[in-house]
Amino acid sequence: MANETPKKIAVVTTIYRYLSHAQHMVDRFLEGYPKNGRWHRPNMKVASLYVDQKPEGDQSAIRAAEYGFQVYPTIAGALCLGGDKLAVDAVLVIGEHGNYPKNEKGQVLYPRHEFFKQAVEVFEKSGRVVPVYNDKHLSYSFEKAKWMVDTGHRMKFPMLAGSSLPVTWRLPDVEIPLGSDIKSALMVGVGGSDPMDYHALEAMQCMIERRRGGETGVKSVQLVEGDAVWRAGAEGRYSNELLVSALSRSDTPQGLTLTDGRTQNLVATGQLQKLVENPAAYFIEHNDGLKTTLLMLNGAVKDYNFAADVRGVGNVSTQFLLTPIPNVTYSACLVSKIEEMFETGRAPYPVERTLIVSGMLESCLESKLKGQQRLETPHLNVRYQAPAKSQHART
Amino acid sequence: MLLGAAAAPLIARAQGRPARPKIAAVATTYFQYSHAQHIVDRFLEGYGWNGTHHYPAMDLVSLYVDQVGATDFSRDRGKRFPTMRLYPSIADALTLGTGKLAVDGVMLVGEHGKYARTPMGQVKYPRYEFFQQIVKVFKDSNRTVPVFNDKHLSWNWDWAKEMYDTSRKMGFAFMAGSSLPVTWRTPSLEMPTGAKVKEAMSVCYGGVDSYDFHGLETIQCMVERRAGGESGVKWVQAYRGAEFWKAHKDGVWPRDLFEACLCRSHTLTPAREGYNHIFPKQADMERLVKDPVAYRYQHEDGLMCTMILMSGLVQDFNFAAQLQGSNDIFSTQMYLPMPPARTSLANFFSPLVNGAEKMFLTGKPTYPLERTLLTTGLTAAGVDSLYQKQVKLNTPHLAIKYQSTRESTFWRS
Repeated sequence: MANETPKKIAVVTTIYRYLSHAQHMVDRFLEGYPKNGRWHRPNMKVASLYVDQKPEGDQSAIRAAEYGFQVYPTIAGALCLGGDKLAVDAVLVIGEHGNYPKNEKGQVLYPRHEFFKQAVEVFEKSGRVVPVYNDKHLSYSFEKAKWMVDTGHRMKFPMLAGSSLPVTWRLPDVEIPLGSDIKSALMVGVGGSDPMDYHALEAMQCMIERRRGGETGVKSVQLVEGDAVWRAGAEGRYSNELLVSALSRSDTPQGLTLTDGRTQNLVATGQLQKLVENPAAYFIEHNDGLKTTLLMLNGAVKDYNFAADVRGVGNVSTQFLLTPIPNVTYSACLVSKIEEMFETGRAPYPVERTLIVSGMLESCLESKLKGQQRLETPHLNVRYQAPAKSQHART
Repeated sequence: MLLGAAAAPLIARAQGRPARPKIAAVATTYFQYSHAQHIVDRFLEGYGWNGTHHYPAMDLVSLYVDQVGATDFSRDRGKRFPTMRLYPSIADALTLGTGKLAVDGVMLVGEHGKYARTPMGQVKYPRYEFFQQIVKVFKDSNRTVPVFNDKHLSWNWDWAKEMYDTSRKMGFAFMAGSSLPVTWRTPSLEMPTGAKVKEAMSVCYGGVDSYDFHGLETIQCMVERRAGGESGVKWVQAYRGAEFWKAHKDGVWPRDLFEACLCRSHTLTPAREGYNHIFPKQADMERLVKDPVAYRYQHEDGLMCTMILMSGLVQDFNFAAQLQGSNDIFSTQMYLPMPPARTSLANFFSPLVNGAEKMFLTGKPTYPLERTLLTTGLTAAGVDSLYQKQVKLNTPHLAIKYQSTRESTFWRS
């Protein structure tokens, strides 16, 4: 493999500065990254870069000079290496970070769909396609995201998307057995709405998509906030047991743990309700009847934890480990998946996962905007099967 | 595992042990993020385990704290948990003031607190002295109960050996050691039992007579599973500063294992500004690591091991080994979710406490004390070699043979 000509990658990104997604992902193609206990250097070359914004601290020019690639003023330029035809073997789209406006739902309007569209225009003009990776969710808009996935299928190019949560280490290293009967599932997440709720929804999705029959699509969503979240728990709309279970995996309880180091059963002691000023519950009802809940519990913990009740297996719970800054080694796990697709032309897991999560997030935020009402989501009729092989870090 | 925990009280009753054991804790000090706080709080408050908030099936009824300072939390805990009484002496904590041993297990936590240092720089934590007082109660009461000792047995090898011998002579279950052997691993790998290990290494951080012990435990919990079991250690040599860098360059220890360890780290200091994760060159390491330390040692069966402390380069505990019959290096990280920077809870104490709980319920150590005896001796020998200008020291006293448990005892559920 080492003798093969390195594959040429075009990078299309919003910004490139220290600790931006572009920096820690593209740098791994330039400098290598740890993979299975070795420092792995991809047999690939970053051939070109398009960067949409150059804020203070921009690194695009110094990286280009050091590693011998060119920064192009347009996406077409980057994909054609200045010529008029597609001249690279893969496209890496990283539309995260940078200064972009928000819409009324609070979503940052990252131009991922627009970047993708321009790449596809080059594919069409050139009569040739190459694999495309899109960092994080496909678009703030399900309609746009759907168009991206449909275009990938129509033009038959491999596509991969999503974040690091599904591929990072799990504490413990558990996987839902493929074809399981999942009775219910719950995720605890933290951080601001769009982006961090996206991460939490995606983490839950990579677990529940392994259920019997695969993913069947989402029938309805509802986002509720404030005391209604606790009332919903008291009424049994989500399982208190699963909440205790998810929180039992946390390494970061707040409140009294910060004061004196003690361990806490946040649910049993009632501390949870005191710590979380503005809880949010994202209720997702799937077409096959599975009901799942994401609880965004800022103030209670600072990590991402999952629990599910699986028939015949029992309670399955884990923490999606987000390793420390600056290494953020979880992004190395993600880059190895991207590299795999660039190398083999096959996506290790379906882009439909990212599509459905993009859509459920948008609909949840719309529910919030519409007075927290339940919304039917016939458009989220996204069906797919999970990969049989586990894709998270375990070797 | 859930089933095992539930069945334990029944077994205990059948074997004539109380269904709900009473535990005494004996600690040097009790402030936030001290070992005693991590350990005793888990008995009092419960902790996340196997996907629920687990409450130990036993009562921590008494506590002795040697140094109670301004930052003490033991008094607060005593108030909040009236079932736990504070006692002014170890004997009182064990007898609950009755004059006779009145508990079913003892947690000895002799880490943290202000204690004098030896000329070699070792902190003279009074674990041996505490242990002697515990044993005196056992003798006076003509009864023994299981004892758990946090971290190494003693800074003093002869005392550590005496502690071991006493437990064997008197026939009580005795466990010791740190969290490293039992915490999460990323990835979650176990050394196959009977593996033919050619060479092993850990790359860690921290100081001498403190985290070196953790680094040695990181290696030992893996290599003890090798073919033939543990055979003991023949000699130890320490390297520090310029000698360390020379040895590193000369290939005294295998470079590929060292690199594998760095590739398991989540905290590799970026060697270049503007990069978040980049592989360091030798010159980078010499700039970043002010005081590198290695303990290189050979086991009786020939196995070579190297424990490396590289403060400034990593802030975690990484393990790598070359196994016979494999081209790939076997490597992982013993993951410590360390507060206060990364987490608020030091949850690596959960599997440690859980292992002790199992001993209190079953009367049998969850993993062999010989591991800690050996790592205690290795720590002392490493410190001694450093003190004696990094000479190679023969260690006939470390000819400690034992077999590991067959089942894994690290956190994986």
